[in-house]
Amino acid sequence: MANDASFEVTDSEQPGVSVLDVRGEIDVATSPELQEILVELIGRGPELLIVNLSDVSFIDSTGLGVLVGAVRDVRAGGGELHLVVTEPHIMKLLELTGLDEVFSVVSNTSDAVRP
Amino acid sequence: MMSALHGRASVEVNDVHRVELSIPADPQMLFLARMTAAAVAARADLNYEQVEDLRLALDELCVGLLNFGTCAGQIALLFQWDSEGTLDVVGTLVPDGEPSSNGNTPGTTGPALSIELSQRILDSLVDDHGADAIGGVHRAWLRVRRQELSV
Repeated sequence: MANDASFEVTDSEQPGVSVLDVRGEIDVATSPELQEILVELIGRGPELLIVNLSDVSFIDSTGLGVLVGAVRDVRAGGGELHLVVTEPHIMKLLELTGLDEVFSVVSNTSDAVRP
Repeated sequence: MMSALHGRASVEVNDVHRVELSIPADPQMLFLARMTAAAVAARADLNYEQVEDLRLALDELCVGLLNFGTCAGQIALLFQWDSEGTLDVVGTLVPDGEPSSNGNTPGTTGPALSIELSQRILDSLVDDHGADAIGGVHRAWLRVRRQELSV
């Protein structure tokens, strides 16, 4: 019995842009899988990495920790990471932890790729 | 490792309701704690936003207990609320002595950041929270008070 049956991550690529669509709950059980995928994607050196959280229903401190690690790693390689957030409670969580100042947050993927 | 789930539903004593839940100290099981938190919060007449807040706060409380998990065991949760709108949750890590395999790996930036974020989340979402260890038994608790909707 596990809750990560609904946790899914799919990635797609255009030149210089990687898009990671995440679905389900990001918690202490699923964060390691997300971290593994992000490390692999960042290793390809994208100029822009978009992490789409539109279909994420829950994220906790372990998930946020993974995303902070990812944004640091992308920037260290000269790239940028944008988060797509549409759920108000996830936006609230970013604000109350101060991470809305760390991430570039947009409300849809099109805005994320726009220069 | 033998997994065990135990629950005891809403026992009412002197207008105080109690729900007990015991889950394996395993990250895969925290969704059960979150589901229970949401159900209890709704029973305690918390508003929608507070239900979501309690779900997250309870998750953070359990993650904190898992961080102490050097042994396999159970997380015992006691939810208690009254008609005045005060809801308390106490979580206790009950080790069973077997080596742990919960594999808690918070993030590429290490657990320190996740712990700091967890504290910020709890500070923001609940009215009071804390943790201690007495006789090697780790405990964490939180308290929320029902917010009346302003019209």
